[in-house]
Amino acid sequence: MTDRNIIELRGVEKRYGTFLAASGIDLDLKEGEFFSLLGPSGCGKTTVLRMIAGFQEPTAGTVLIDGQDMEGVPANNRPTNMVFQSYAIFPHLNVGNNVAYGLRGKAPKGEIDQRVAEALDMVELGGLQDRGASELSGGQRQRVALARALIMRPKVLLLDEPLSALDKKLREQMQFEMRNLQQSLGITFVMVTHDQYEAMTMSDRIGVMFNGRLKQVDTPTTLYARPCDQQVASFIGEMNILPAQLLGEIGNMLSIDAAAFGRIEIERNPNVATSSKDMNIGIRPEQLEIAAEKPEDYPSTVQGTVSNAAFYGENIHYHIRVAGAEKPISVSVPNYFHTVDFKRGDAVWLGLQGASVIDLGTDTK
Amino acid sequence: MKRPSTLTAYAFLYLVFLYLPVLFLPLFSFNSGTIVAFPIKGWTLDWYRKLGEQDTLIQALWNSLGVGTVVAILSTAMGLFAARAFVRYRFRGQRAAEGLVMLPLVIPGIIVASSMLVLFLFLGLKPSLLTVVLGHTFLALPFSVSILKSAFDDFDASLEEASYDLGVGVFETFRRVTLPVVSPGIIASMLVTFTVSFDEFVLAFFLSGNQPTLPVYIWSQIRFPAKLPNVLALGSILLLTSVLLLVLAEYFRRRSSASEVR
Repeated sequence: MTDRNIIELRGVEKRYGTFLAASGIDLDLKEGEFFSLLGPSGCGKTTVLRMIAGFQEPTAGTVLIDGQDMEGVPANNRPTNMVFQSYAIFPHLNVGNNVAYGLRGKAPKGEIDQRVAEALDMVELGGLQDRGASELSGGQRQRVALARALIMRPKVLLLDEPLSALDKKLREQMQFEMRNLQQSLGITFVMVTHDQYEAMTMSDRIGVMFNGRLKQVDTPTTLYARPCDQQVASFIGEMNILPAQLLGEIGNMLSIDAAAFGRIEIERNPNVATSSKDMNIGIRPEQLEIAAEKPEDYPSTVQGTVSNAAFYGENIHYHIRVAGAEKPISVSVPNYFHTVDFKRGDAVWLGLQGASVIDLGTDTK
Repeated sequence: MKRPSTLTAYAFLYLVFLYLPVLFLPLFSFNSGTIVAFPIKGWTLDWYRKLGEQDTLIQALWNSLGVGTVVAILSTAMGLFAARAFVRYRFRGQRAAEGLVMLPLVIPGIIVASSMLVLFLFLGLKPSLLTVVLGHTFLALPFSVSILKSAFDDFDASLEEASYDLGVGVFETFRRVTLPVVSPGIIASMLVTFTVSFDEFVLAFFLSGNQPTLPVYIWSQIRFPAKLPNVLALGSILLLTSVLLLVLAEYFRRRSSASEVR
């Protein structure tokens, strides 16, 4: 990754009649970065991607690619290539001709053949040039779509939900492969996804969108630890959200009285603002200690009852009813040596440390 | 349950009523007598043999083949653009436009025929094969539009976008992606519109002037009882050809739907 901006969006807006599909989008993407646009369906992420690709024109604002204003530049003249959600493999062409499609007539035949072979090797489909489009599996179609886009040597590769059509195993494998491919090529990848795990495992940075607005742009770890509001907090991973009273603040630390857990010192979240005493905090399920006896070394402990237990294999999820909290608290425990095993109705203790609590403030900064 | 069996009987009688007269046509074309009535006198292929000797019939056949071919090309070309626009874009007046294109299916042929004759005469166009072509194209357009609309319905719009995205312009994309992908639909549309024109009588009767198409020629022969078995032989051939063409068209239409599902 370099510090040079390859894509700059300045106040980009897309309006359909009275409906704002995207508005106020300001975004700088670095050269060589893997960037994901994450959000629920209908949040406008695909619209943003299609405005970069040139399939849709913004109704306001500017799209710059490599410093060039893209206004009025059609998709076929932009230095971007796209992997479509449906993969859009040409059904009447074989694999070789699909991959060569964009080069036909623009390079000598020998060079095209060589580049097709290289591109297919890159996506591990070497030698499959003559395979018909209808004979490909889902995973192979995805690889052909990747090869067909990458052979054009784009400055930016755009990916629209590239893994949503694959089954779980293949999806996880492709996540690693695509990340490796991106790093070895050094091309900027911009991916649209509704899957937070996909976004977190693959991306350098993630932009979270809701209702046509870009809420937060950060690295996966910052998004997870310092979300800018409750919406982002509960969309990225699971989150227990509890009300709290602000008692006082010293420098970077806040002293609060949290529902159920009582007095605790927590770190200030620079991405939110606190404008009144009534604020919210978030606790990730895996940050809580659960034990049969009252745990020591925890500044805050609370007793509760197991209302639900779900075994996931690598970890176990519990719902714990606690006095003072409206909803049951979610707790996730790694399945260490099969030692943890609480049943519904068991009385348990929860332990919490201040460093595990996320300040959600009252407003987005 | 009694009802299903009465329904089956009804359906059977219905089909007999519908198709039995059609089956008489080939049956009597092999009858050696000139009177179309039972009992059949004897079996012969003479009526088929004699078809080749009639110059006016051959001329009428060529007229029909020519008109059918031009109509198939014209209406399929127009239908291709209309169908793509109807499926791909949303525009003001779309429903009205789609309805108007389909209108020839429901207007009585005699009304269309007489008003077209008036229109063409007003424009100074003498009844000829040209006016038949124009009339038949109007009549065949709804068929090609509906066949091609279903071809475009199954056509993933991102295929065209993928082509633009790979640096290929609008016209080349149409040639390299759109046409090949909808080609089974195009073939189906050409076969159906050809058949529509080939079998059409009313418009051709009004608009053909002294250049009769085959159905118009057949009608003119029916007045002479001696020629009737000959007409039956010709009709049998036309029947068989039409059925074959439509079966072929249906095959291509289904292939165009199936190609995108995989």
